[in-house]
Amino acid sequence: MTAVVRAEGLTKYYGRRRGLEDLDLEIQPGEIFGYLGPNGSGKTTTIRLLLDVIRPTRGRITVLGAGSREPAVRARIGYLPGELALEGREKARDYLRFLGRVRGGVPPGRIEELAERLGADLGVPMAKLSKGNKQKVGLIQAFMHEPDLLILDEPTGGLDPLVQQEFLAMVREVRLAGRTVLMSSHVLAEVEHVSDRVGIVRAGRLVAVENVAALREKAVRRVELHFDAPVPPEAFAGLPGVRDLRVEGASVRCTIDGRPDALVKAAARFTVVHLVSAEPDLEEIFLTYYGDEGRHDDRQVVA
Amino acid sequence: MIAKSLRDYRRALIGWTIGISAFMALYLGVYGNIKTNPDIYGPQALAKFPGALKDLMGGLEDFTSGAGYLQSVVYQLFVPFLFLACAMIIANRALAEPEEAGTLELVVTLPIDRRRLVLERFAALVAGLVAVAAVTLLITWVMAEAVGMGVPFDRILAAHTGVLLLGLFFGALTLALGAATGRKGPAMAVTGVWAVAGYVVVTLGRSVDAIAWLKWASPFHYYAAGRPLHEGLPVADYLVLAGAAAVLALTAVLAFDRRDVGV
Repeated sequence: MTAVVRAEGLTKYYGRRRGLEDLDLEIQPGEIFGYLGPNGSGKTTTIRLLLDVIRPTRGRITVLGAGSREPAVRARIGYLPGELALEGREKARDYLRFLGRVRGGVPPGRIEELAERLGADLGVPMAKLSKGNKQKVGLIQAFMHEPDLLILDEPTGGLDPLVQQEFLAMVREVRLAGRTVLMSSHVLAEVEHVSDRVGIVRAGRLVAVENVAALREKAVRRVELHFDAPVPPEAFAGLPGVRDLRVEGASVRCTIDGRPDALVKAAARFTVVHLVSAEPDLEEIFLTYYGDEGRHDDRQVVA
Repeated sequence: MIAKSLRDYRRALIGWTIGISAFMALYLGVYGNIKTNPDIYGPQALAKFPGALKDLMGGLEDFTSGAGYLQSVVYQLFVPFLFLACAMIIANRALAEPEEAGTLELVVTLPIDRRRLVLERFAALVAGLVAVAAVTLLITWVMAEAVGMGVPFDRILAAHTGVLLLGLFFGALTLALGAATGRKGPAMAVTGVWAVAGYVVVTLGRSVDAIAWLKWASPFHYYAAGRPLHEGLPVADYLVLAGAAAVLALTAVLAFDRRDVGV
Protein backbone atom coordinates (compact mmCIF):
# COMPACT_ATOMS: atom_id res chain seq x y z
CA MET A 1 0.00 0.00 0.00
CA THR A 2 1.20 3.50 -0.71
CA ALA A 3 1.70 5.94 2.11
CA VAL A 4 -1.07 8.47 2.81
CA VAL A 5 1.46 11.10 3.74
CA ARG A 6 5.01 11.08 2.46
CA ALA A 7 7.53 13.81 3.13
CA GLU A 8 11.09 13.69 1.84
CA GLY A 9 13.73 16.14 2.96
CA LEU A 10 11.01 18.59 3.88
CA THR A 11 12.54 21.88 4.98
CA LYS A 12 11.01 25.24 5.77
CA TYR A 13 12.74 28.47 6.67
CA TYR A 14 10.87 31.63 7.52
CA GLY A 15 13.45 34.05 6.24
CA ARG A 16 16.50 33.01 8.24
CA ARG A 17 14.49 31.44 11.04
CA ARG A 18 14.25 27.68 10.89
CA GLY A 19 10.77 26.17 10.97
CA LEU A 20 11.54 22.62 9.93
CA GLU A 21 14.69 20.87 8.78
CA ASP A 22 14.98 17.83 6.57
CA LEU A 23 11.87 15.93 7.64
CA ASP A 24 11.35 12.42 6.31
CA LEU A 25 8.02 10.93 7.28
CA GLU A 26 5.65 8.27 6.04
CA ILE A 27 2.18 7.67 7.40
CA GLN A 28 0.42 4.49 6.30
CA PRO A 29 -3.29 4.07 5.54
CA GLY A 30 -5.42 3.30 8.58
CA GLU A 31 -2.79 4.54 10.96
CA ILE A 32 -3.19 7.03 13.78
CA PHE A 33 -0.03 9.02 13.99
CA GLY A 34 0.65 11.21 17.01
CA TYR A 35 2.91 14.12 16.30
CA LEU A 36 4.54 15.31 19.48
CA GLY A 37 6.74 18.18 20.40
CA PRO A 38 6.93 21.30 22.53
CA ASN A 39 5.39 24.53 21.28
CA GLY A 40 7.41 26.07 18.49
CA SER A 41 9.18 22.83 17.59
CA GLY A 42 7.79 22.61 14.05
CA LYS A 43 4.55 20.64 14.42
CA THR A 44 2.31 23.32 13.00
CA THR A 45 4.86 24.12 10.29
CA THR A 46 4.75 20.49 9.14
CA ILE A 47 0.97 20.41 9.13
CA ARG A 48 0.64 23.68 7.24
CA LEU A 49 3.13 22.42 4.66
CA LEU A 50 1.04 19.28 4.15
CA LEU A 51 -2.02 21.44 3.50
CA ASP A 52 -0.24 23.87 1.19
CA VAL A 53 -0.97 26.82 3.46
CA ILE A 54 2.77 27.50 3.35
CA ARG A 55 5.32 26.31 0.81
CA PRO A 56 8.44 24.30 1.52
CA THR A 57 11.89 25.81 1.11
CA ARG A 58 13.11 22.38 0.01
CA GLY A 59 11.80 18.86 -0.14
CA ARG A 60 8.85 16.92 -1.50
CA ILE A 61 5.40 16.21 -0.13
CA THR A 62 2.84 13.70 -1.33
CA VAL A 63 -0.57 13.57 0.31
CA LEU A 64 -3.10 10.88 -0.66
CA GLY A 65 -1.02 10.07 -3.68
CA ALA A 66 -0.96 13.59 -5.12
CA GLY A 67 1.22 16.65 -4.73
CA SER A 68 0.11 18.95 -1.91
CA ARG A 69 -0.45 21.74 -4.46
CA GLU A 70 -3.33 19.80 -5.99
CA PRO A 71 -6.56 21.49 -4.77
CA ALA A 72 -8.81 18.49 -5.43
CA VAL A 73 -6.93 16.39 -2.89
CA ARG A 74 -7.98 18.75 -0.11
CA ALA A 75 -11.61 17.64 -0.47
CA ARG A 76 -10.44 14.31 1.00
CA ILE A 77 -8.68 15.92 3.96
CA GLY A 78 -10.27 17.11 7.17
CA TYR A 79 -8.20 19.80 8.82
CA LEU A 80 -8.40 21.35 12.25
CA PRO A 81 -6.04 24.35 12.53
CA GLY A 82 -4.06 24.76 15.73
CA GLU A 83 -5.40 28.23 16.24
CA LEU A 84 -8.86 28.07 14.85
CA ALA A 85 -10.36 31.49 14.19
CA LEU A 86 -14.10 31.77 13.65
CA GLU A 87 -15.59 35.21 13.34
CA GLY A 88 -18.58 37.13 12.19
CA ARG A 89 -22.32 37.17 12.67
CA GLU A 90 -22.85 34.03 10.66
CA LYS A 91 -24.22 31.12 12.65
CA ALA A 92 -21.90 28.17 13.10
CA ARG A 93 -24.41 25.84 11.43
CA ASP A 94 -24.52 27.95 8.26
CA TYR A 95 -20.73 28.16 8.09
CA LEU A 96 -20.44 24.38 8.47
CA ARG A 97 -22.96 23.87 5.65
CA PHE A 98 -20.98 26.24 3.47
CA LEU A 99 -17.73 24.37 4.14
CA GLY A 100 -19.50 21.09 3.45
CA ARG A 101 -20.82 22.29 0.09
CA VAL A 102 -17.40 23.50 -1.03
CA ARG A 103 -15.87 20.16 -0.10
CA GLY A 104 -18.37 18.32 -2.22
CA GLY A 105 -21.18 17.57 0.16
CA VAL A 106 -21.84 16.18 3.62
CA PRO A 107 -24.31 13.38 4.32
CA PRO A 108 -27.60 14.84 5.57
CA GLY A 109 -27.93 14.97 9.34
CA ARG A 110 -24.18 14.45 9.78
CA ILE A 111 -23.53 17.92 11.17
CA GLU A 112 -26.34 17.65 13.71
CA GLU A 113 -25.22 14.17 14.72
CA LEU A 114 -21.67 15.35 15.42
CA ALA A 115 -22.92 18.45 17.20
CA GLU A 116 -25.00 16.29 19.47
CA ARG A 117 -22.10 13.94 20.22
CA LEU A 118 -19.82 16.81 21.16
CA GLY A 119 -22.51 18.93 22.76
CA ALA A 120 -21.87 21.87 20.44
CA ASP A 121 -24.27 24.77 20.12
CA LEU A 122 -24.51 25.63 16.42
CA GLY A 123 -27.22 28.27 16.64
CA VAL A 124 -24.87 30.94 17.91
CA PRO A 125 -23.08 33.58 15.78
CA MET A 126 -19.50 32.43 15.44
CA ALA A 127 -17.97 35.49 17.06
CA LYS A 128 -19.96 34.68 20.22
CA LEU A 129 -18.82 31.06 20.52
CA SER A 130 -16.81 30.16 23.60
CA LYS A 131 -13.31 28.75 23.11
CA GLY A 132 -14.53 25.23 23.79
CA ASN A 133 -17.45 25.59 21.40
CA LYS A 134 -15.17 26.96 18.68
CA GLN A 135 -13.00 23.90 19.04
CA LYS A 136 -16.08 21.69 18.75
CA VAL A 137 -17.15 23.48 15.58
CA GLY A 138 -13.59 22.97 14.31
CA LEU A 139 -13.80 19.25 15.02
CA ILE A 140 -17.19 18.97 13.34
CA GLN A 141 -15.92 20.62 10.16
CA ALA A 142 -12.88 18.34 10.14
CA PHE A 143 -14.88 15.11 10.62
CA MET A 144 -18.16 15.88 8.85
CA HIS A 145 -17.27 14.99 5.25
CA GLU A 146 -15.71 11.67 6.35
CA PRO A 147 -12.32 12.45 4.86
CA ASP A 148 -9.70 9.83 4.04
CA LEU A 149 -7.11 11.78 6.02
CA LEU A 150 -7.68 13.81 9.15
CA ILE A 151 -5.02 16.33 10.10
CA LEU A 152 -5.68 17.70 13.57
CA ASP A 153 -3.41 20.30 15.12
CA GLU A 154 -3.71 20.23 18.92
CA PRO A 155 -7.28 18.90 18.71
CA THR A 156 -8.04 18.64 22.42
CA GLY A 157 -7.16 22.20 23.41
CA GLY A 158 -10.04 23.87 25.23
CA LEU A 159 -12.17 20.72 25.47
CA ASP A 160 -13.38 19.46 28.81
CA PRO A 161 -12.49 15.84 29.73
CA LEU A 162 -15.85 14.31 28.76
CA VAL A 163 -15.73 15.87 25.32
CA GLN A 164 -12.10 14.75 24.99
CA GLN A 165 -13.27 11.18 25.56
CA GLU A 166 -15.94 11.56 22.90
CA PHE A 167 -13.35 12.99 20.53
CA LEU A 168 -11.01 10.04 21.11
CA ALA A 169 -13.93 7.69 20.42
CA MET A 170 -14.49 9.51 17.11
CA VAL A 171 -10.81 9.07 16.25
CA ARG A 172 -11.02 5.34 16.98
CA GLU A 173 -14.07 5.05 14.70
CA VAL A 174 -12.08 6.70 11.94
CA ARG A 175 -9.36 4.10 12.35
CA LEU A 176 -11.94 1.27 12.32
CA ALA A 177 -13.19 2.63 9.00
CA GLY A 178 -9.63 2.29 7.70
CA ARG A 179 -9.04 6.02 7.40
CA THR A 180 -5.92 7.83 8.56
CA VAL A 181 -5.29 10.41 11.27
CA LEU A 182 -2.37 12.71 11.95
CA MET A 183 -2.77 14.56 15.22
CA SER A 184 -0.34 16.80 17.00
CA SER A 185 0.00 17.52 20.66
CA HIS A 186 2.53 18.73 23.16
CA VAL A 187 1.27 16.28 25.76
CA LEU A 188 1.92 12.58 25.28
CA ALA A 189 -1.05 11.68 27.49
CA GLU A 190 -3.41 13.24 24.95
CA VAL A 191 -2.37 11.01 22.08
CA GLU A 192 -0.90 7.89 23.63
CA HIS A 193 -4.22 6.09 24.10
CA VAL A 194 -5.22 6.27 20.46
CA SER A 195 -1.97 6.54 18.53
CA ASP A 196 -0.29 3.62 16.83
CA ARG A 197 2.94 5.48 16.33
CA VAL A 198 4.22 8.80 17.53
CA GLY A 199 6.80 11.07 15.97
CA ILE A 200 8.73 13.40 18.21
CA VAL A 201 9.81 16.70 16.77
CA ARG A 202 12.17 19.06 18.48
CA ALA A 203 13.75 22.31 17.34
CA GLY A 204 12.59 21.69 13.77
CA ARG A 205 13.85 18.12 13.50
CA LEU A 206 12.08 14.82 13.75
CA VAL A 207 14.16 13.14 16.45
CA ALA A 208 12.32 9.85 16.72
CA VAL A 209 9.41 7.84 15.41
CA GLU A 210 8.34 5.13 17.82
CA ASN A 211 5.39 2.92 18.29
CA VAL A 212 3.53 3.85 21.42
CA ALA A 213 4.21 0.70 23.39
CA ALA A 214 7.98 1.12 22.89
CA LEU A 215 7.80 4.75 23.93
CA ARG A 216 6.00 3.92 27.12
CA GLU A 217 8.73 1.42 28.00
CA LYS A 218 11.24 4.19 27.65
CA ALA A 219 9.23 6.70 29.59
CA VAL A 220 10.53 8.04 32.86
CA ARG A 221 8.32 8.04 35.87
CA ARG A 222 8.70 9.87 39.15
CA VAL A 223 7.79 7.64 42.03
CA GLU A 224 7.27 8.51 45.66
CA LEU A 225 6.87 5.85 48.34
CA HIS A 226 5.89 6.39 51.97
CA PHE A 227 6.37 3.75 54.63
CA ASP A 228 5.09 3.34 58.16
CA ALA A 229 8.64 3.55 59.56
CA PRO A 230 12.02 4.91 58.41
CA VAL A 231 13.70 2.65 55.85
CA PRO A 232 17.43 1.99 55.37
CA PRO A 233 18.78 3.75 52.25
CA GLU A 234 20.87 0.67 51.36
CA ALA A 235 17.68 -1.29 50.66
CA PHE A 236 17.06 0.87 47.59
CA ALA A 237 20.61 1.55 46.48
CA GLY A 238 21.78 0.19 43.15
CA LEU A 239 18.39 -1.00 41.89
CA PRO A 240 18.32 -1.38 38.10
CA GLY A 241 16.48 1.46 36.36
CA VAL A 242 16.26 3.63 39.46
CA ARG A 243 17.83 7.08 39.38
CA ASP A 244 17.88 10.25 41.48
CA LEU A 245 17.23 8.26 44.61
CA ARG A 246 16.51 10.20 47.80
CA VAL A 247 15.69 8.39 51.00
CA GLU A 248 14.53 10.65 53.83
CA GLY A 249 13.28 8.86 56.92
CA ALA A 250 10.12 7.01 55.97
CA SER A 251 9.90 8.29 52.42
CA VAL A 252 11.65 7.36 49.19
CA ARG A 253 11.69 9.51 46.05
CA CYS A 254 13.21 8.44 42.78
CA THR A 255 12.90 8.38 39.01
CA ILE A 256 12.54 5.09 37.19
CA ASP A 257 13.36 4.30 33.59
CA GLY A 258 11.04 1.81 32.03
CA ARG A 259 9.74 -0.96 34.26
CA PRO A 260 9.15 -0.31 37.97
CA ASP A 261 9.60 -3.97 38.84
CA ALA A 262 12.84 -3.81 40.85
CA LEU A 263 11.64 -0.85 42.90
CA VAL A 264 8.32 -2.49 43.71
CA LYS A 265 10.07 -5.66 44.87
CA ALA A 266 12.49 -3.71 47.04
CA ALA A 267 9.64 -1.74 48.60
CA ALA A 268 7.58 -4.84 49.24
CA ARG A 269 9.87 -5.77 52.12
CA PHE A 270 8.51 -2.80 54.10
CA THR A 271 5.02 -1.60 54.88
CA VAL A 272 3.94 0.84 52.14
CA VAL A 273 1.36 3.35 53.33
CA HIS A 274 1.28 5.60 50.27
CA LEU A 275 2.44 5.36 46.67
CA VAL A 276 2.53 8.19 44.14
CA SER A 277 3.53 7.59 40.53
CA ALA A 278 3.37 10.58 38.22
CA GLU A 279 2.40 10.01 34.59
CA PRO A 280 5.43 10.03 32.34
CA ASP A 281 5.71 13.43 30.83
CA LEU A 282 6.92 14.12 27.37
CA GLU A 283 9.43 16.71 28.40
CA GLU A 284 11.20 14.11 30.51
CA ILE A 285 11.36 11.65 27.64
CA PHE A 286 13.08 14.33 25.63
CA LEU A 287 15.54 15.06 28.38
CA THR A 288 16.37 11.42 28.94
CA TYR A 289 16.53 10.01 25.45
CA TYR A 290 16.77 12.81 22.97
CA GLY A 291 18.23 15.55 25.13
CA ASP A 292 21.75 15.34 23.72
CA GLU A 293 20.61 15.35 20.11
CA GLY A 294 18.25 18.20 20.89
CA ARG A 295 20.91 20.31 22.52
CA HIS A 296 23.23 19.59 19.65
CA ASP A 297 20.57 20.82 17.24
CA ASP A 298 20.02 24.00 19.19
CA ARG A 299 23.65 24.91 18.84
CA GLN A 300 23.65 24.46 15.11
CA VAL A 301 24.18 27.70 13.32
CA VAL A 302 21.40 28.56 10.90
CA ALA A 303 22.89 28.91 7.45
CA MET B 1 -17.99 31.31 -3.07
CA ILE B 2 -19.04 34.60 -4.69
CA ALA B 3 -22.48 34.41 -3.14
CA LYS B 4 -20.93 33.63 0.24
CA SER B 5 -18.59 36.62 0.00
CA LEU B 6 -21.44 38.91 -0.95
CA ARG B 7 -23.43 37.65 2.03
CA ASP B 8 -20.46 38.45 4.24
CA TYR B 9 -20.16 41.95 2.77
CA ARG B 10 -23.92 42.54 2.92
CA ARG B 11 -24.01 44.79 5.93
CA ALA B 12 -21.08 46.91 4.80
CA LEU B 13 -22.52 47.29 1.31
CA ILE B 14 -25.93 48.29 2.60
CA GLY B 15 -24.35 50.72 5.04
CA TRP B 16 -22.28 52.45 2.39
CA THR B 17 -25.21 52.57 -0.02
CA ILE B 18 -27.32 54.28 2.61
CA GLY B 19 -24.48 56.64 3.50
CA ILE B 20 -23.79 57.74 -0.07
CA SER B 21 -27.49 57.97 -0.86
CA ALA B 22 -28.10 60.12 2.19
CA PHE B 23 -25.28 62.42 1.08
CA MET B 24 -26.85 62.70 -2.38
CA ALA B 25 -30.31 63.34 -0.98
CA LEU B 26 -29.06 66.02 1.38
CA TYR B 27 -26.89 67.94 -1.05
CA LEU B 28 -29.06 67.60 -4.12
CA GLY B 29 -32.05 68.53 -1.98
CA VAL B 30 -30.73 72.02 -1.40
CA TYR B 31 -30.14 72.62 -5.11
CA GLY B 32 -33.65 73.98 -5.49
CA ASN B 33 -32.72 76.76 -3.10
CA ILE B 34 -29.54 77.55 -5.02
CA LYS B 35 -31.28 77.60 -8.39
CA THR B 36 -33.83 80.14 -7.20
CA ASN B 37 -31.19 82.41 -5.64
CA PRO B 38 -28.39 82.55 -8.23
CA ASP B 39 -27.17 85.88 -6.89
CA ILE B 40 -26.25 84.40 -3.52
CA TYR B 41 -24.42 81.36 -4.91
CA GLY B 42 -23.35 82.84 -8.24
CA PRO B 43 -19.91 83.92 -9.43
CA GLN B 44 -19.67 86.84 -6.99
CA ALA B 45 -20.16 84.54 -4.04
CA LEU B 46 -17.68 82.00 -5.36
CA ALA B 47 -15.13 84.72 -5.94
CA LYS B 48 -14.83 85.06 -2.16
CA PHE B 49 -13.29 81.60 -1.83
CA PRO B 50 -9.48 81.55 -1.72
CA GLY B 51 -7.92 80.41 -5.01
CA ALA B 52 -6.26 77.32 -3.60
CA LEU B 53 -9.49 76.10 -2.07
CA LYS B 54 -11.26 76.61 -5.37
CA ASP B 55 -8.53 74.65 -7.12
CA LEU B 56 -8.89 71.87 -4.61
CA MET B 57 -12.60 71.76 -5.27
CA GLY B 58 -11.96 71.51 -8.99
CA GLY B 59 -12.37 75.17 -9.81
CA LEU B 60 -15.91 75.90 -8.60
CA GLU B 61 -16.55 77.78 -11.81
CA ASP B 62 -20.19 77.08 -12.06
CA PHE B 63 -22.35 76.38 -9.10
CA THR B 64 -25.78 77.41 -10.24
CA SER B 65 -26.41 75.29 -13.33
CA GLY B 66 -27.62 71.76 -12.70
CA ALA B 67 -24.63 70.09 -14.30
CA GLY B 68 -22.19 72.46 -12.61
CA TYR B 69 -23.67 71.88 -9.18
CA LEU B 70 -23.77 68.14 -9.63
CA GLN B 71 -20.18 68.18 -10.82
CA SER B 72 -18.81 70.37 -8.00
CA VAL B 73 -20.72 68.93 -5.11
CA VAL B 74 -21.18 65.30 -6.03
CA TYR B 75 -18.67 64.11 -8.57
CA GLN B 76 -15.69 66.32 -7.79
CA LEU B 77 -14.67 65.18 -4.34
CA PHE B 78 -17.18 63.75 -1.92
CA VAL B 79 -18.86 60.89 -3.70
CA PRO B 80 -15.70 59.52 -5.35
CA PHE B 81 -13.92 59.47 -2.00
CA LEU B 82 -16.86 57.91 -0.18
CA PHE B 83 -17.04 55.26 -2.87
CA LEU B 84 -13.30 54.76 -2.75
CA ALA B 85 -13.37 54.24 1.00
CA CYS B 86 -16.15 51.69 0.55
CA ALA B 87 -14.13 49.87 -2.13
CA MET B 88 -11.02 49.86 0.03
CA ILE B 89 -12.84 48.40 3.04
CA ILE B 90 -14.62 45.70 1.03
CA ALA B 91 -11.38 44.83 -0.80
CA ASN B 92 -9.56 44.36 2.49
CA ARG B 93 -12.26 41.95 3.60
CA ALA B 94 -11.39 39.69 0.69
CA LEU B 95 -7.97 38.51 1.88
CA ALA B 96 -5.96 40.73 4.21
CA GLU B 97 -8.55 41.05 6.98
CA PRO B 98 -9.41 37.34 7.21
CA GLU B 99 -5.72 36.51 6.99
CA GLU B 100 -4.92 38.77 9.95
CA ALA B 101 -7.87 37.38 11.88
CA GLY B 102 -6.78 33.81 11.07
CA THR B 103 -10.01 32.80 9.36
CA LEU B 104 -8.36 32.55 5.95
CA GLU B 105 -6.35 29.49 6.96
CA LEU B 106 -9.36 27.19 6.79
CA VAL B 107 -10.50 28.79 3.52
CA VAL B 108 -7.20 28.15 1.70
CA THR B 109 -7.37 24.50 2.74
CA LEU B 110 -10.68 24.06 0.94
CA PRO B 111 -10.45 22.22 -2.38
CA ILE B 112 -10.32 25.46 -4.34
CA ASP B 113 -7.41 26.63 -6.38
CA ARG B 114 -5.86 29.72 -4.81
CA ARG B 115 -6.01 31.66 -8.07
CA ARG B 116 -9.70 30.90 -8.34
CA LEU B 117 -10.22 31.97 -4.75
CA VAL B 118 -8.74 35.42 -5.43
CA LEU B 119 -10.66 35.77 -8.69
CA GLU B 120 -13.91 34.89 -6.99
CA ARG B 121 -13.29 37.34 -4.19
CA PHE B 122 -12.48 39.99 -6.81
CA ALA B 123 -15.68 39.13 -8.65
CA ALA B 124 -17.59 39.57 -5.40
CA LEU B 125 -15.93 42.96 -4.93
CA VAL B 126 -16.96 44.01 -8.44
CA ALA B 127 -20.51 42.78 -7.93
CA GLY B 128 -20.77 44.57 -4.59
CA LEU B 129 -19.48 47.86 -6.00
CA VAL B 130 -21.77 47.62 -9.03
CA ALA B 131 -24.70 47.16 -6.67
CA VAL B 132 -23.76 50.21 -4.59
CA ALA B 133 -23.16 52.24 -7.77
CA ALA B 134 -26.49 51.18 -9.29
CA VAL B 135 -28.53 52.14 -6.25
CA THR B 136 -26.74 55.46 -5.77
CA LEU B 137 -27.07 56.20 -9.50
CA LEU B 138 -30.78 55.71 -9.23
CA ILE B 139 -31.01 57.98 -6.21
CA THR B 140 -28.95 60.67 -7.95
CA TRP B 141 -31.11 60.53 -11.03
CA VAL B 142 -34.38 60.64 -9.04
CA MET B 143 -33.12 63.56 -6.94
CA ALA B 144 -31.84 65.39 -10.01
CA GLU B 145 -35.24 65.04 -11.65
CA ALA B 146 -37.03 66.04 -8.48
CA VAL B 147 -35.17 69.32 -8.02
CA GLY B 148 -35.18 70.06 -11.76
CA MET B 149 -31.45 69.97 -12.53
CA GLY B 150 -31.99 69.39 -16.20
CA VAL B 151 -29.16 66.88 -16.59
CA PRO B 152 -30.06 63.96 -18.88
CA PHE B 153 -29.85 60.43 -17.51
CA ASP B 154 -27.12 59.29 -19.90
CA ARG B 155 -24.81 62.07 -18.67
CA ILE B 156 -25.38 61.13 -15.03
CA LEU B 157 -24.77 57.50 -16.01
CA ALA B 158 -21.51 58.52 -17.69
CA ALA B 159 -20.30 60.37 -14.58
CA HIS B 160 -21.44 57.62 -12.25
CA THR B 161 -19.64 54.98 -14.32
CA GLY B 162 -16.49 56.95 -13.60
CA VAL B 163 -17.14 56.72 -9.86
CA LEU B 164 -17.58 52.97 -10.18
CA LEU B 165 -14.37 52.56 -12.19
CA LEU B 166 -12.42 54.73 -9.78
CA GLY B 167 -13.68 52.64 -6.87
CA LEU B 168 -12.84 49.50 -8.78
CA PHE B 169 -9.30 50.70 -9.44
CA PHE B 170 -8.62 51.50 -5.80
CA GLY B 171 -10.42 48.35 -4.66
CA ALA B 172 -8.23 46.25 -6.95
CA LEU B 173 -5.17 48.12 -5.65
CA THR B 174 -6.10 47.35 -2.04
CA LEU B 175 -6.80 43.73 -2.98
CA ALA B 176 -3.43 43.38 -4.73
CA LEU B 177 -1.55 44.89 -1.79
CA GLY B 178 -3.46 42.71 0.66
CA ALA B 179 -2.85 39.62 -1.48
CA ALA B 180 0.86 40.35 -1.64
CA THR B 181 1.44 41.32 2.00
CA GLY B 182 -1.42 39.68 3.89
CA ARG B 183 -1.75 42.84 5.96
CA LYS B 184 -4.52 45.38 5.74
CA GLY B 185 -2.62 48.28 7.35
CA PRO B 186 -0.09 48.72 4.53
CA ALA B 187 -2.80 48.05 1.94
CA MET B 188 -4.97 50.86 3.36
CA ALA B 189 -2.02 53.22 3.78
CA VAL B 190 -0.68 52.88 0.24
CA THR B 191 -4.17 53.10 -1.27
CA GLY B 192 -5.03 56.15 0.84
CA VAL B 193 -1.82 57.99 0.02
CA TRP B 194 -2.12 57.26 -3.69
CA ALA B 195 -5.72 58.45 -3.67
CA VAL B 196 -5.11 61.72 -1.82
CA ALA B 197 -1.87 62.47 -3.68
CA GLY B 198 -3.55 61.61 -6.96
CA TYR B 199 -6.39 63.96 -6.20
CA VAL B 200 -4.10 66.82 -5.18
CA VAL B 201 -1.99 66.41 -8.32
CA VAL B 202 -4.96 66.85 -10.64
CA THR B 203 -6.44 69.77 -8.70
CA LEU B 204 -3.86 71.95 -6.93
CA GLY B 205 -1.00 70.45 -8.93
CA ARG B 206 -2.53 71.34 -12.26
CA SER B 207 -1.01 74.79 -12.18
CA VAL B 208 2.35 73.73 -10.75
CA ASP B 209 4.61 72.77 -13.65
CA ALA B 210 6.98 70.73 -11.50
CA ILE B 211 4.33 68.18 -10.60
CA ALA B 212 1.77 68.60 -13.34
CA TRP B 213 3.21 65.65 -15.29
CA LEU B 214 2.40 63.40 -12.32
CA LYS B 215 -1.23 63.56 -13.35
CA TRP B 216 -0.55 60.62 -15.68
CA ALA B 217 -0.06 58.48 -12.59
CA SER B 218 -3.22 59.77 -10.96
CA PRO B 219 -6.37 57.69 -11.33
CA PHE B 220 -8.31 60.94 -10.90
CA HIS B 221 -6.89 62.18 -14.19
CA TYR B 222 -8.74 59.37 -15.95
CA TYR B 223 -11.76 59.69 -13.73
CA ALA B 224 -12.32 63.16 -15.22
CA ALA B 225 -14.15 64.51 -12.16
CA GLY B 226 -17.66 64.80 -13.50
CA ARG B 227 -16.75 66.39 -16.84
CA PRO B 228 -18.79 63.61 -18.47
CA LEU B 229 -21.83 65.51 -17.20
CA HIS B 230 -21.05 68.06 -19.88
CA GLU B 231 -19.16 66.01 -22.41
CA GLY B 232 -20.54 62.46 -22.23
CA LEU B 233 -18.68 59.19 -21.77
CA PRO B 234 -14.85 59.53 -21.93
CA VAL B 235 -14.29 56.06 -23.35
CA ALA B 236 -10.49 56.10 -23.55
CA ASP B 237 -10.00 57.40 -20.01
CA TYR B 238 -12.42 54.88 -18.57
CA LEU B 239 -10.73 52.07 -20.43
CA VAL B 240 -7.45 53.06 -18.81
CA LEU B 241 -9.07 52.80 -15.35
CA ALA B 242 -10.75 49.49 -16.13
CA GLY B 243 -7.56 48.09 -17.65
CA ALA B 244 -5.47 49.16 -14.66
CA ALA B 245 -7.99 47.54 -12.31
CA ALA B 246 -7.78 44.31 -14.32
CA VAL B 247 -3.97 44.35 -14.19
CA LEU B 248 -4.08 44.89 -10.42
CA ALA B 249 -6.54 42.03 -9.98
CA LEU B 250 -4.24 39.77 -11.96
CA THR B 251 -1.33 40.90 -9.80
CA ALA B 252 -3.38 39.95 -6.74
CA VAL B 253 -3.99 36.48 -8.17
CA LEU B 254 -0.34 35.84 -8.93
CA ALA B 255 0.95 37.33 -5.67
CA PHE B 256 -1.42 35.32 -3.49
CA ASP B 257 -0.81 32.09 -5.38
CA ARG B 258 2.89 31.98 -4.58
CA ARG B 259 2.84 33.09 -0.97
CA ASP B 260 2.76 31.50 2.49
CA VAL B 261 -0.53 32.34 4.18
CA GLY B 262 -0.78 33.57 7.73
CA VAL B 263 2.91 33.53 8.60
